[in-house]
Amino acid sequence: MTNYIIKRIADLVFVLFGVSVLVFFMLRFIPGDAVEIMLGANVDISVERVEALRRQLGLDLPIHEQYGQWFLGLLRGDLGTSIWTGQPVATEIMARLPITLEVTLLALAFSLLVSFPIGILAASARGTWGDTIVRIISIIGLTLPSFWVGVLLLYVVSVRFPSFPAIGFVPFLEDPWGNLSRLSLPVLAVSLPIIASLSRILRSSLLEVMNADYIRTAKSKGLSARTLLYKHALRNALIPVLTIIGVQMGYLLSGVVIIEQVFAIPGLGRLIIGAISERNYPLVQGTILVVTLFFVVVNLLVDLAYAWIDPRVEYS
Amino acid sequence: MKHFFKQLYKNQVGFIGFCLCVFVCSLALFAPILKTHGPNKQNIRDRFEGPSTEHILGTDNFGRDLFSRVLYGYRTSLGVALISVSIATLIGSLIGLTSAYFGGFIDRFLMRFMDILLAFPIILLAIAIIAVLGSSSVNTAFAIAIVYTPIFARLSRGPALSLLSWDYVTAARALGASGSRIMFKHVTPNILAPILVQVTLSLSTAILVEASLSFLGLGTQPPTPSLGLMLSDSRDYMLLSPWVSLFSGLAILLASLGFNLFGDGLRDLLDPTLKNL
Amino acid sequence: MQKFVLSLILLFGFASAQTGTLELAVDQSPVGLDPHVVTAFSSIAVLSQIYDGLVESNADLAIEPALAESWTISDDGLSYTFNLREGVTFHNGRTMTAEDVVYSFNRIMAEETGSPQASRFSQVSSAEAADDTTVVFTLSEAFAPFLGNTANLSVVASEVVESEDIGQVAIGTGAFMLDEIVPDTYVSLVANPNYYRDMQPKVAELRYNIVPEASTRAAGLRNGTYHLLPVVDPATAQTLENVNSVSILRTQDLAYSLLGFNTTVAPFDDARVREAINMIIDREEIVEAVYFGQAEAGGPLSPGLAEWAVDTSEYSCYTTDVDKAKALLAEAGASDLSMEILSFGTNKIVSDVSQVVLAQLIDAGIDATLDVPEFGTFVQRWKNSEFDAFVSLNGGNIDPDGYLFRTFHSDGATNVYKFNDPSVDELLVQGRTQTDLDERAATYTSLQEKLACSGPISHIAYGTLLSGIANGVEGFEQNPTRSLISLRNVTVE
Repeated sequence: MTNYIIKRIADLVFVLFGVSVLVFFMLRFIPGDAVEIMLGANVDISVERVEALRRQLGLDLPIHEQYGQWFLGLLRGDLGTSIWTGQPVATEIMARLPITLEVTLLALAFSLLVSFPIGILAASARGTWGDTIVRIISIIGLTLPSFWVGVLLLYVVSVRFPSFPAIGFVPFLEDPWGNLSRLSLPVLAVSLPIIASLSRILRSSLLEVMNADYIRTAKSKGLSARTLLYKHALRNALIPVLTIIGVQMGYLLSGVVIIEQVFAIPGLGRLIIGAISERNYPLVQGTILVVTLFFVVVNLLVDLAYAWIDPRVEYS
Repeated sequence: MKHFFKQLYKNQVGFIGFCLCVFVCSLALFAPILKTHGPNKQNIRDRFEGPSTEHILGTDNFGRDLFSRVLYGYRTSLGVALISVSIATLIGSLIGLTSAYFGGFIDRFLMRFMDILLAFPIILLAIAIIAVLGSSSVNTAFAIAIVYTPIFARLSRGPALSLLSWDYVTAARALGASGSRIMFKHVTPNILAPILVQVTLSLSTAILVEASLSFLGLGTQPPTPSLGLMLSDSRDYMLLSPWVSLFSGLAILLASLGFNLFGDGLRDLLDPTLKNL
Repeated sequence: MQKFVLSLILLFGFASAQTGTLELAVDQSPVGLDPHVVTAFSSIAVLSQIYDGLVESNADLAIEPALAESWTISDDGLSYTFNLREGVTFHNGRTMTAEDVVYSFNRIMAEETGSPQASRFSQVSSAEAADDTTVVFTLSEAFAPFLGNTANLSVVASEVVESEDIGQVAIGTGAFMLDEIVPDTYVSLVANPNYYRDMQPKVAELRYNIVPEASTRAAGLRNGTYHLLPVVDPATAQTLENVNSVSILRTQDLAYSLLGFNTTVAPFDDARVREAINMIIDREEIVEAVYFGQAEAGGPLSPGLAEWAVDTSEYSCYTTDVDKAKALLAEAGASDLSMEILSFGTNKIVSDVSQVVLAQLIDAGIDATLDVPEFGTFVQRWKNSEFDAFVSLNGGNIDPDGYLFRTFHSDGATNVYKFNDPSVDELLVQGRTQTDLDERAATYTSLQEKLACSGPISHIAYGTLLSGIANGVEGFEQNPTRSLISLRNVTVE
């Protein structure tokens, strides 16, 4: 087990290194550099001034040297400085990370809370109309783009319930109720597809487990269907659900990036989309690195939890 | 093959899904015949009209015929989905198989590389790729392909790995069968099932990724109709005229429903352990 | 005694009557805070509350005093003497003097500042502080737009520029002071208690909420989250029209949509080709389709500049006539014209105008295609003139010279069309040096007639500036320049 963990962490470091290289070089291939975007349509500026700005930002160095400098900074734990604001990248990210994390975790919790009853219902009603309806509704949930659901929810709520605070963001510590009420619609919008896929997976894994030999044996022994479902089947059916949570986190983060745009939530998604269009290289690099770190760590934890729950898994 | 269709027919859900897929694909394929107007032909005077005999599904903000745009929208969206998923399937499973066959350093290297791609949140990777390449439907397809490749690599590597340790493959190896022969003759047919299921599901999510990119202004560019772009543009007119939102949303739903149900059916058919569920 | 206390309370109560927060919703965070460098509307909307110029232009585009109380212009138009208000203080408490005006002017002109305003002051040979409250500008040649341009001469405090990063802090003399910037969330300004205009500002705080999505801004205005949307797109305005708690304000915008050509690329170097395209474009249809009728087809000058603008009925090429256009194209040997139109997607008006123009060109048998790169790339290609033609939105000015010189003069700062016509250059120079109003008007009339049909730009339409305002917000007045100076008069219920 220890060896396995060490190996996984080594892999993780390699993956992060790869991500850093990939992001760094990909960004430099985007047409137009930070200085040109910064000056925008300002055509009165002299060539010397442009060159001076480039030198000041270190953008005149050969690209591998730029990477080297950035990488050395990373090793010291320094993510660099945002080109536009002059703030440390780490500071900018830390201001946004909790917000995105809150939306993501709320959505995850909400999805789990809702998809369990739905999954169980569908599994126990297998083959009936109820099952089919749940199935079709869940596909609809998977189909609607979150930005569209978001805009629709916003219209409905702002027209029907004008006093409900639905737009913008206030920090939780400042105003807990205001925070949660403003996040409720975006959380709902990004949760729909996750609920849909989680409940489907739960349904099929429940059915799979119910068909397994040991459950059949238990059934023949006369255990009630209820006890069976809750005591035995559900626990085992959790394993595949757990594994896909890692993957779902990726989808969820993508959904959050989009929904932040709709609901004016100042999270990482808006930070990075803005940073890409401004060619704010250090900020994009830092944000992507932090997001991927989060993502691979979650997946590592899921794998470890998986191995821990199900001892049959080999550590290879 | 005939047997397969018989089975599919019996599996009602799968069959409905299959029919829906065939339906939307033929809409896309025969768009030039089925269209009632040019998909980009504007007629400002007839803007924001509801369904009528002249415009079956009504018109959009430029008075373009929505029905014809949906048909051509299917062309773009399904085209993007098909191209991206095909590339991802081909390259992904090739990487997965190579990885499984050679093992050792090659395996580790390829799979870690796939992990790198997989570690990016989908939408961010797609945004970055499109920023580099420029926005167009073709580049969108390419970006989605890159995003999906590691999924297929992982999906094919696992089963291939366990198959390679099976007796009959070992026997074939001992008999001197070449690597490519073993992979294509013995391994590939046996891992087809999970891949096919994943293909159908990926097709429906690819349409969504394209829509999300269009929302950010990075997907298909106007005036080319794509379902995602139409749905995204329609949000500004949701209250003025809900038809565009409604019908482009329904069009996406139809395609997605088809792919999903077909995928479910396939899984039931191809994966014997789930047959009775 | 009691009476005295009471009146003191009244007085005091009045003096600190700044109450309430005005919640605005805008689409973009300010990009930089240096008032001499920024060009983005999102920055100017905020900075114009913090910094003052010597003068300002009111809602009717007339010039009114700001930091300068009065001014005199010498008869030859070469010397401008500004008398500054007394007792104006910067937000840091220091009294503003004539030296600060001179310092700010020199900073704009300094090469290393890279200020886009520098070219507006290129005729000034010297700026001097005669005493603490008098500044004298000496011009090398008469330059009629100079007075109006001093509205853009934001006065900064030298010690702030020297000791701090003016891209991060903002210390001006304006009605509001920068309080807090929360990136992608809001920018908050608070009332300046020592503002030089009595009883202003009236609200205690201005909060610019950054909301990228138009439908979200509209929903927020509807449900009372926001009080004011300074700019509303025509489609959203239409949906807000029927909402009881909201009203839509309108005024003529100075900005215009355009199709610009690269006059060094064949066949767009041929004036006949540009004229033919002018004839193909159906401006009325664009006004209807893109602006929902909230715009006016226009030529080189905004119809808002009523004393200067030539009526579009005077331009022969503004009557849509595809057959005539085709004949003209054939004459120019460009019957099989094909063109790629560069555009961008982040502005709805631009994106929609390019689609309708494209459809009109295609309908007329021209092989036109649209290329919509990401905005940064668009700016890049626009600046380097890497296009056949492009669709964009150009900002306006209160003076015809501000519209025309930088755009059409062969050395103009934004002449990305590489347009070079000596006779136009001559008229442009003539127009900016003429001090006689009638002569000047004649010059600009002939310039407009010259440029409308065969210039490097097909001017399309001047939109109506639409603002959305919640009931209970009083005192807001739109300004065609899109400036928000009237916010200092606004009260919130």
